[in-house]
Amino acid sequence: MARMNRIAAVVGLATIGLAGAGVASLALSQGRINASSTAPGVATPTQLLTQPIPDGAPNIDQIRQGQYLVKMGDCVSCHTRDGGEPLAGGYGLNTPFGVIYTENLTSDPDTGIGAWTPDQFYQAIHSGIGPHGMRLYPGLPYTYFTRATRTDSDAMLAYLKTVPAVSYRPPANGLPFPLNIRFMIRGWNLLFFRPGDFKPEPAKSAEWNRGAYIVTGLGHCGACHTPKNALAGDKTGVPLHGGDLDNWVAPDLTSNMRTGLGRWSSDDIVEYLKTGRNAHANAGGSMGEVVSYSTSLMNDADLHAIATYLKDQPASPSAAAYDPDPGAMKRGAAIYSDACASCHLQEGGGQPRIFPPLKDDAVAQQGDPNGLLHLILAGGRTAPTPTRPTPLSMPSFAWKLTDQQIADVATYIRNAWGNRASAVTAGQATKMRARLGLKTVHLTDNSGDHG
Amino acid sequence: MSDNGINRRRLLVAGALTGAAGAAGAVTLHDGERGADPRTYSGTMPWRGGAADAPPIAEGGTGYTFFNALEQAFLEPALDRLIPPDPAGPSATQANVHIFIDRQLAGPYGRGDHYFLGGPWPKGVAEQGYQSRLSPAQVYRLTIPAIEGHVRGAYNGKLFKDLAVEDQDKVLKSLESGDAKLDSADGKMFFTMFLQNAMEGYFSDPIYGGNKDMGAWKMIGFPGAHYDYREWVGRHNERVPYPPVSIKGRPGWSET
Repeated sequence: MARMNRIAAVVGLATIGLAGAGVASLALSQGRINASSTAPGVATPTQLLTQPIPDGAPNIDQIRQGQYLVKMGDCVSCHTRDGGEPLAGGYGLNTPFGVIYTENLTSDPDTGIGAWTPDQFYQAIHSGIGPHGMRLYPGLPYTYFTRATRTDSDAMLAYLKTVPAVSYRPPANGLPFPLNIRFMIRGWNLLFFRPGDFKPEPAKSAEWNRGAYIVTGLGHCGACHTPKNALAGDKTGVPLHGGDLDNWVAPDLTSNMRTGLGRWSSDDIVEYLKTGRNAHANAGGSMGEVVSYSTSLMNDADLHAIATYLKDQPASPSAAAYDPDPGAMKRGAAIYSDACASCHLQEGGGQPRIFPPLKDDAVAQQGDPNGLLHLILAGGRTAPTPTRPTPLSMPSFAWKLTDQQIADVATYIRNAWGNRASAVTAGQATKMRARLGLKTVHLTDNSGDHG
Repeated sequence: MSDNGINRRRLLVAGALTGAAGAAGAVTLHDGERGADPRTYSGTMPWRGGAADAPPIAEGGTGYTFFNALEQAFLEPALDRLIPPDPAGPSATQANVHIFIDRQLAGPYGRGDHYFLGGPWPKGVAEQGYQSRLSPAQVYRLTIPAIEGHVRGAYNGKLFKDLAVEDQDKVLKSLESGDAKLDSADGKMFFTMFLQNAMEGYFSDPIYGGNKDMGAWKMIGFPGAHYDYREWVGRHNERVPYPPVSIKGRPGWSET
């Protein structure tokens, strides 16, 4: 125990001294403010991931299984840079400690993983150790992938070796000293990494255990949805209670009736993961990428298994009762009526699967209002999926509403129609506006008549 | 626009004749709107977080930026003959219509960015719309002094603002009918534009400088920039209770 504390102090000092105090989490920057675009002639991630594997190879079943597992692991969301070839890497993960660039996972032997052995690949995802023995930064969620079976690991590598080689070397990581010394990761791993195989719960059903294997393994849901401690490790005592990442909020996935999935049926969860929409919510932001590139491409049995596991998570504690300021509620109601109700309706009912209802909405009622503020300021886009390919979008209100007005309407949405959550201040809106770079008006290409 | 060497009408004719209009990709046809050039998208629809089709907001308070003193002296009394004050609602100048027109003429509208101003200029029919080689700003700048010249000649050297309202109305009516003969200006075309601009300034959203405090909307019971009434489709013989709201809000958004 004493030894553990010393390591914590060393890592902690380095972290706080270099990255600044108040570091909250290793929030991976998966939330790209721009919908990712692909250069002409380059396959889109979805095209690559849904490309049929032709018959012929002796290990054809293994390759097909590997393609499926690469979807399950949502490798493409992080291992694709904007405008780059899918899986060729180079996407910068904004961690509180600096930028970590993702590796090239295509079959190129020099810059990709074409020369990796199954042992090396398993060592990377199971133990967080690279092919030459160096420790990998936990931007790669090996704290989750460690639960993947060796069979699944081998299948993923077999598939990745069929991905057309792209010669591309990602930029060097932008981590400050001494975090650039990979040895430091050892201390972090000692604190927060428990390598080990998935341990089934014999008392639970096979479906539950399949869900647990996905959610706590390759699906790495907790990488975003579990809150982080000051050193970016998971707060393992509160799994899936909701986390923040890159100016978004990854909502509570427990059975909490306000902030979590308490009001969602198993079928609701399946529909959301498969189509990007259900009666309660639309998937956008970082989760939109997860749905587009991962869950919408998974099979129904696995989605039902995920739902079974999530519906069995005990509810997180409820927030204390709260009386919002009547002035803020009155102003917020006026703004909501004029600016929001056209789509979300006066009583917050929305138009399910088109415009998400705000009454009982979980994102609106999260303890952290940043997801709501992000949506109001920057707008949002519902992820296109094979079953629902039309990408609906909500407009940005950054040009239209002042920070005080944004705070008031957010407070109203969080407390109207039976909703309950803490008030939002103008300062919080100001901060989010700055973080999103929206202090000045950004016009679309089609805005006319300026100047 | 006329100096770029491309005559749009001839180009369109040529394109229609040769069937090459669709292939004329190298030539950018300007549709009159200032916006993006046509583009082809594939894959997913483009979307950029935080970007908005935000309208230009009229700035500069209530001072003039376009009209000079002589023009201002004509503009304000003339506007208040088109829309005089009465118990039902504000006059044109009470609603800041003069500020609206001033900002419009100082901007893209005044420059004629929306119009094709190149030749040829044969006399068109009404359905063909605006047929002048002058931009709207040039129309105001050339015509107002001509009107004042006409007024001086007809009313013993007086300015329009110093006429009795009955005489002001006579002058405006003679412009409308085309009876007023102006030196080197088309009074009828000016009146048509002026009346149109006055109505636009009176009823358009306050962000453009006119319709002060949404006075014109309150007068006619128009609720403003609400764009959806699905919740009212089945409700008959009820007053819609929404107070008027501008694109940039209403007092209720900020009152303490």
